[in-house]
Amino acid sequence: MAGIFIFSEDSALGKQLLTPALELKKALNQTIVALALSNSDAKELAALGADKAVVLQSENKWVDGLAEAIYTQVSKSEGSVLLVGGTLRGKGIAAYVAAKINAGMVTDAKTLKIEGGNLLATRVLYAGLATCEEEVVLPAVATIRARTFLAPAAPTTAGTVETVTVEGEPRITVGAVTPTGTAGVNINAASKLVSVGRGFRKKEDLKLAEDLAAALKAELACTRGVAEDEHWLPIERYIGISGQTVKPDLYLAVGLSGQVQHMVGCRESKVIVAVNNDERAPIFEAADYGIVGDLYEVLPLLTAALGK
Amino acid sequence: MPKCLVCYKWTLDEQDIKIKSEDLSLDSSRAKGKISDFDRNAIEEAALLVEKDGGAVDALTYGTGTVKQSLKDALSRGPGKVYWVADASAENADASVTANVLAAAIRKLGQYDLILCGEGSSDQFNQQTASRIAALLGLPCVTFASKLSVEGDTVNATRKLEDCQEDVSVKGPVVISVLSEINKPRIPSLKQVLGASKKPNEEIKLADLALKPEDLQPRAVRKSVRGFLMQRKNVIYKESSAADNVAKLKASLASEGLC
Repeated sequence: MAGIFIFSEDSALGKQLLTPALELKKALNQTIVALALSNSDAKELAALGADKAVVLQSENKWVDGLAEAIYTQVSKSEGSVLLVGGTLRGKGIAAYVAAKINAGMVTDAKTLKIEGGNLLATRVLYAGLATCEEEVVLPAVATIRARTFLAPAAPTTAGTVETVTVEGEPRITVGAVTPTGTAGVNINAASKLVSVGRGFRKKEDLKLAEDLAAALKAELACTRGVAEDEHWLPIERYIGISGQTVKPDLYLAVGLSGQVQHMVGCRESKVIVAVNNDERAPIFEAADYGIVGDLYEVLPLLTAALGK
Repeated sequence: MPKCLVCYKWTLDEQDIKIKSEDLSLDSSRAKGKISDFDRNAIEEAALLVEKDGGAVDALTYGTGTVKQSLKDALSRGPGKVYWVADASAENADASVTANVLAAAIRKLGQYDLILCGEGSSDQFNQQTASRIAALLGLPCVTFASKLSVEGDTVNATRKLEDCQEDVSVKGPVVISVLSEINKPRIPSLKQVLGASKKPNEEIKLADLALKPEDLQPRAVRKSVRGFLMQRKNVIYKESSAADNVAKLKASLASEGLC
């Protein structure tokens, strides 16, 4: 018995997991079992390449508590790889299963392959300062963040769908759940971002960045300091190791120095532009284009120029 | 009055690590140690809980011989006692080995109402320890808490997830990981630093933890590490006229099809 298992509570991310799973299937010659929360997700996953999709049906809606059920599915087939969508909930679930099956786990794998019968994966270290390659003996677990892979395009032979009834985590009581979608803004989906740091002297001055963002049809993002220390922008907008990871076409960094903990969240952007008054700021090494200058002078000029 | 245990990791300060340009290897020879950034939030949160509700905070760490350097720093941040496991196995420990050692140490120490961890270590950021410890100890787990309070034997937490805030409650004992936004770790005062040297620390020998050899065998092995090299165009406009610089930048953005 064996199998490549995938799970994400996020339907889009679940489909993206199929792409590395299909590669692993070629190498291991094992079937793909997709675990899903709904029948519609399961059908889609089966249509896109999962050999079998299993709906985990539970009275208990707390997704994190399905970790035990996922462990049961993986362990009863002696699954060789479990890929979990790298959401915060997903990371907890993945680590739980990894501990229960005594497996190694790669957090936020960027690439995955099988070599010498082991899983070889790359990921970042030291808040983005370095990347490393980890070799994990099977069974192995990995989490994969959203948009690391594209969902497979061409439908293949549809797999089967079945439903199992599972238990949740009875010890945890869930109270209020408040959606935090910042007024429908998803900075992950934005193709252009204007990102602000503490080069701005006060919250009101962010208007300069907002105007520039409007001229560029961009969204506003920020550093951890701006969100967590100054509370000038919601935490959902901060880019960095424990914040958001984005890959826009344009990342325009204003008044931020470019610490490695920040850059890890934006360095896969297509074009990075920096505006900073300190010529020695690390952001210029990380930028395609830059202006050394006072943002209070540069931004209004840039907004006017781009607005034309 | 909760009895809390905070797990922390003594890591290298990544700010001191340099990338060697010739082969992209890392030079950490000048890197000093620090208590992992996010673990400081966990220590602070436990200290705040106990300062408010009474109770006690102990700390626990597993590392190589260098963990001894962390004890005074940890104690100056609030815990009354620190337990430490120092063993060469920590050098190559993956998250599985770390959790096996911590869970075994916790079993030996006895029951705690709250076991707190940071959201991830600042070096590896595996974000696995809290969930793994909970799985190994058979305890419930609440990850990524942005707010925490204790009422009797019930722990209330607000979790901050990608798309929602979620309030949960659970009767202890429970394992909790906290987000960095939950608090601002204190900078220990001189009094707290001096007080730390009077607080007890106790070594837990790895040999006393009844671990099997395979429990100390990393499942994930680091094969290679390469410094991340930014490969960017680095076209920087720094004329004295801001208007000239802006015009040049606009032309560059146009050439990239971005405006």
